[in-house]
Amino acid sequence: MFMRYKFMLIMRGIWFVSQVALFGLVVGKMVEAAATAAGINYFQYYVAGVTIITLYSTSMFIGYDIFEEAEHGVFEYLLTLPVSRRELVLGRSIGGGLRSFIYVGPLLIIVLMLLGLSNPLHFLVALSGLFLFAFGVSGMSITIAVAMKSGDKYDILIGVLDALIVRLSTTMYPTIYLQQAMPAYATIANFNPLTYASDLFRWGTGVEGTLQFTPLIGLLALFVFFFSFTFVGVVFYERRLEGGSWQ
Amino acid sequence: MRQILHVIEYDFRNFFRYRWFIIALLAMNFADLFISAIVFSQMTRGVVDYFRFFAPGLAVIGLFASAFMIGREVNMEVRREVHHYLLSLPMTRTELAIGRVLAGGLRGMLYMTPLLITNFALLGLPTLPELLVILLALFLLAVGISGVSISIAVSTTSFEKFVTARGVVYYMFFFCSSVFYPMAIIQTLETRGLAPLVRFAEINPLTNGSDLIRSFLLGSPVFSPLMLLDVAIFCAIFSLLATFAYAKILMRR
Repeated sequence: MFMRYKFMLIMRGIWFVSQVALFGLVVGKMVEAAATAAGINYFQYYVAGVTIITLYSTSMFIGYDIFEEAEHGVFEYLLTLPVSRRELVLGRSIGGGLRSFIYVGPLLIIVLMLLGLSNPLHFLVALSGLFLFAFGVSGMSITIAVAMKSGDKYDILIGVLDALIVRLSTTMYPTIYLQQAMPAYATIANFNPLTYASDLFRWGTGVEGTLQFTPLIGLLALFVFFFSFTFVGVVFYERRLEGGSWQ
Repeated sequence: MRQILHVIEYDFRNFFRYRWFIIALLAMNFADLFISAIVFSQMTRGVVDYFRFFAPGLAVIGLFASAFMIGREVNMEVRREVHHYLLSLPMTRTELAIGRVLAGGLRGMLYMTPLLITNFALLGLPTLPELLVILLALFLLAVGISGVSISIAVSTTSFEKFVTARGVVYYMFFFCSSVFYPMAIIQTLETRGLAPLVRFAEINPLTNGSDLIRSFLLGSPVFSPLMLLDVAIFCAIFSLLATFAYAKILMRR
């Protein structure tokens, strides 16, 4: 199903390259002094952040499938399958996360070539965190999709959510600058799964030597995110399937 | 002229059908300004006051995105063969094409208005002649963008190909311009062998459009008539291309 989005995937690829090769390079020059003061190489910092944004946005694609299925009557077919509804949602959430990894995989290899890999064990820990993150985002996407009746409204809400969740995280800038800009931004960022995923990824690739939280806390936060949204997704999905309320 | 006004009215009615989409787009633009730009201001202290620098760029981004929306509709009409109906209307193909290009630009201007007002509120008001020059430049820019969008839209019946081409154009125009960062910093890319990108950024109408607003609201860079000329040339080339392409290509389908 995922490969039907080939043009969307090409678009994401173009977005990634232009973000890294143009925006990352130029902004890296602009914030050179601040980045040095914060002890980071901004280009590397940004490349890692853009990788997480790409993983986030591709994991969100699953929501569009939910609407397609409702539109084309595939829901009825899914209900006839010999699996429980719980298994169905869990499977979709994990499937959504896994397929986004298939897409991000080649980008991840390029990113690793750019950033290098200082400690393979750290990287494996970070990678497991990214899996939890991708599954959690898919669960969140399913939850939002089944809670809404209109595909257009879903598209709009996802756009607004995307704008806020990405900007209020440490994908593009370190927490210290969020704190200086407005303490409320830093507070929100501390509860944002994108912050944990991107910081853990930077730690795993060696871009950042130290984290503001321990890797265990990071993994735990991503597990809580994954668990809550998969659980909420199951409840919402079950309710929506009852009595054909998706129609 | 009356026929052209009818086409413009038709496109404005369509535009308001997307009001939630427009509100979402505005929310994203304001998130860029009031979150990202404020944080980057902290990171660029001593280099540039990024918040003030970015605000005019944001108005141009909004203008670009909304003026480009006409292409999506034109492409949809081509795919669903609505253009047959449009071609049957009592007006010449040229009037129809001019109306579509102008409507795309005017819709961009309408969408950009709250962003421009935010600029005036944050950075101060320009004088009346300066305001007129800003509005003229932005109108020319919007019509040119609408022209680019329509030219791409009528070149393909595939929505996916249109979306991909739109993505390439968006990212080239946005990231290779002074919308996000000062030209002086882009010029440092020359040392990395990226001179063609620097040249493109210099002639990019988005660079000239945003720098023109900055020249009046921030005093830097210094205003040059070449900024207006650049935008006017862009507008002339792409509005003519779109009018020609729309009128000719639709007849062939």
